[in-house]
Amino acid sequence: MTQLVLGQVLNGAIIGAMYGIIALGITLTFGITGIVNFALGEFMMIGAYATYALAERFGWPYPVAVVPACLIAAAAGYLANKAFFRFTRNNLVNGLLVSIGLISILESAALLFWTATPLEMHFVLPGALRLGEVGLPKMKLVVFAVILAVIVLTYLGLARTWLGRAAFAYAQNPEAAMLMGVHTPRLETAVMLYSTGLAGLGGALYASLYSLEPAMGGVYVLKGMEAAILGGIGSLMGSLWGGVILGVIEGVGSIFLPTAFRDAYGLAILVAILLFRPAGLFGTE
Amino acid sequence: MILRLVLWSALYALPIFVRSDFLLTILIFTFIYGMLGVTLDLIFGFTGQLSMFHPAVFGVSAYMTYLLASKAGLPFWLATIPSALTAVVLAMIVGSICFKFRLKTFYFAVVTLAFAEVIRLVVLNWNSVTNGTLGLVVTGRPTVWLPGMGVVAIKGPVAWYYLTLVSLTLTVIVCARCLSSWMGRCFGAIRLNEDLARTLGIDVFRYKLASFAVGNALASFAGGLYGYYTAYIDPGYLSINQSMDVLAMVLLGGQGTLIGPIVGSLVLTSLPHVIDLRAEARAILYGAILIFTILVMPRGIVGTFNAWRARRAA
Amino acid sequence: MLLEVRGLTKRFMGLTAVSDVSFTVEPGEIMGIIGPNGSGKTTLLSMMAGLLAPTAGAVRWQGEEIQHLRPDVIAARGIVKTFQNPQVFAELTVFDNAMVATHLALKRSRGARRLGELVGLGRAAERTLAGQVAEALALCNLGGATRQLAGNLSYGEEKMLGLAMALMCRPRLLLLDEPASGLGREEIDNLVAVLTKVHAAGATLCIVDHKVGFLRGIARRVIALDHGEKIAEGPPEAVLENPAVIEAYLGRAHAPA
Repeated sequence: MTQLVLGQVLNGAIIGAMYGIIALGITLTFGITGIVNFALGEFMMIGAYATYALAERFGWPYPVAVVPACLIAAAAGYLANKAFFRFTRNNLVNGLLVSIGLISILESAALLFWTATPLEMHFVLPGALRLGEVGLPKMKLVVFAVILAVIVLTYLGLARTWLGRAAFAYAQNPEAAMLMGVHTPRLETAVMLYSTGLAGLGGALYASLYSLEPAMGGVYVLKGMEAAILGGIGSLMGSLWGGVILGVIEGVGSIFLPTAFRDAYGLAILVAILLFRPAGLFGTE
Repeated sequence: MILRLVLWSALYALPIFVRSDFLLTILIFTFIYGMLGVTLDLIFGFTGQLSMFHPAVFGVSAYMTYLLASKAGLPFWLATIPSALTAVVLAMIVGSICFKFRLKTFYFAVVTLAFAEVIRLVVLNWNSVTNGTLGLVVTGRPTVWLPGMGVVAIKGPVAWYYLTLVSLTLTVIVCARCLSSWMGRCFGAIRLNEDLARTLGIDVFRYKLASFAVGNALASFAGGLYGYYTAYIDPGYLSINQSMDVLAMVLLGGQGTLIGPIVGSLVLTSLPHVIDLRAEARAILYGAILIFTILVMPRGIVGTFNAWRARRAA
Repeated sequence: MLLEVRGLTKRFMGLTAVSDVSFTVEPGEIMGIIGPNGSGKTTLLSMMAGLLAPTAGAVRWQGEEIQHLRPDVIAARGIVKTFQNPQVFAELTVFDNAMVATHLALKRSRGARRLGELVGLGRAAERTLAGQVAEALALCNLGGATRQLAGNLSYGEEKMLGLAMALMCRPRLLLLDEPASGLGREEIDNLVAVLTKVHAAGATLCIVDHKVGFLRGIARRVIALDHGEKIAEGPPEAVLENPAVIEAYLGRAHAPA
């Protein structure tokens, strides 16, 4: 039982951190540029499939394949911004609609190219770490560590670097940031590259653990948004924590409750939390 | 006004002159999707709330109408009533939660989408009733009570054409009635400036809920018809793609108009019939049309046409 | 006593915008609220209209506490507020803007019978309201612009449209936030004429303004705010001679920016 619960907590935390990465990307992009990139899950899908292609088809070692996979996702994000998203600035509904169109296009393209058959990579790092009676797969621990590192670096990056401070300043008060000399188009490009690249990294890590399907992006973006609302709309760290909480609830919940309704638990918790804290867990009124 | 009357009369007169089953089939699908489009437009284009809940109501009422007819022995036209009431109850629950917490724009869209997903999961896993992924084969014909003729079974493309056309007409009339009354003024006020609407004494929560409930109740009739027409119901009725297709129709045709969604439905339902595309290519095309419309022609076909006519008149 | 404000306080994240303000509004009077920019006038008015929830204190309307009610409920009781920066439905015509504002009047006169409109009954009530809208627009000097989009109006016209919309709500207490700011001379004269007429028809007015001259002409009683606190109350002349008020205005004007 301990094994089962602990295993699900780790699983849930990893999946949840991926929700969190998507939620963070959406919140960051919207907060700073006023653009809704609801298609962020698709960039995760791109990163995952790119990793798969490089590692399995071209035979690159997994750690080497991860970097170009992130770059490919970021490049796709750059193009999507230049072609579509920048025209939807400050129009949430249009951003959402363009995103839906993009999700449809990318998902169908992936279906045409890779078919709906789930793809699995070879074990990158086999074996498990044994702690008494509990065994935790090594690769999951590595992925968890990488995600944790990315989250800490993101936090430090936002709090300490010039770009991060500029981003915060811009989100708080665009006019003042403009006076301070924050160049908006450059900031917008940076945020887009970062959020889509990060989603690509999430996808690359995901590929090492779970099987890939073209529809994964749509699922993750939905969960990512639930995480963002759960954590409190607009709160960056809140969206990460919201993701982790959502993931763990789903993981642990599916031990005790029917797995088929796994996707419903998060929503139930979300509604329950909204009832008591309308601004989300970490949001302020 | 005259243009609209001519168009509707032409639709009613069409089967007298055209006997092509191919064309009638396209138009029957156009009318059913048109019902979904018009009702989504009531909620989205007129009241400003981007709902993704349509597939849930569409699917649930398709199942319910058929099950009530086959298991409980109700005639088709009576079975649509409890289905519509169920749609109202679902809309009230989901709408109350969303509107109470003032979820707007894409937060509203996401939460309604999540609820639709939960309902899809229930339908998918309730094997004893819905037969899961395998779906249900619909046997039997819809029956309609007509004054003077009693209960009539719908058989053949022409009968189906008129059944769906009348359903669409009624849907449009109900929406038009709501919109031309004080209710429509409230919907518009909420779409344009919610805070101002509130200071003018409009109960924003109530009228958002009214729009959502009316839209979903009317959409439920499309579900019942679609199930019987295609003779097959499966959980795919409740999929997110369904939401996207209807949204693409509304946007392409012209949001905030009642004719627009029907025009959009005509274009997008005839497309796969006219050019043979596989499902993935179709989804890519729909996605591209959606993006193109929003970025290049945000008013849609009818909106752009109306603007052009207004410019010419001026 | 029509409305009583008692100990009303509003803090925004440590900043106190309104601090322990109390006063009453008597039926049928025209009262003014003056104070320099940033003295908390708009915040006070917004709390009275239910647009902001107070941190502490109470607003009583005919003895009943209303500070926790929603703005639409408060508007339905008869307290209607106009905005300093005019709020209109930019994409609707001037006429349709004012028609939206007939919501409460229609609700009061017809109640649930409004549902009959859906099947074509009771159109007469709509026609009556349309007539009243035309009158209100003519009164506010917008008779020639009824078919224009509200978004195309000038600032002053938008402001008068905001007033016309508030009038269509049939207010018993009309809260006006700087109604004269941004208006030209003739527009102000017209505004005074409209307000006098509305007052004569039985409405109570509560007017916020920092241009003291406009209020002196029509208000019988004013209160003065500074830094969110009430510093004076009485007839306009007396309040304007009050040293604290003079200092609030002049001191602010002379202080280095």
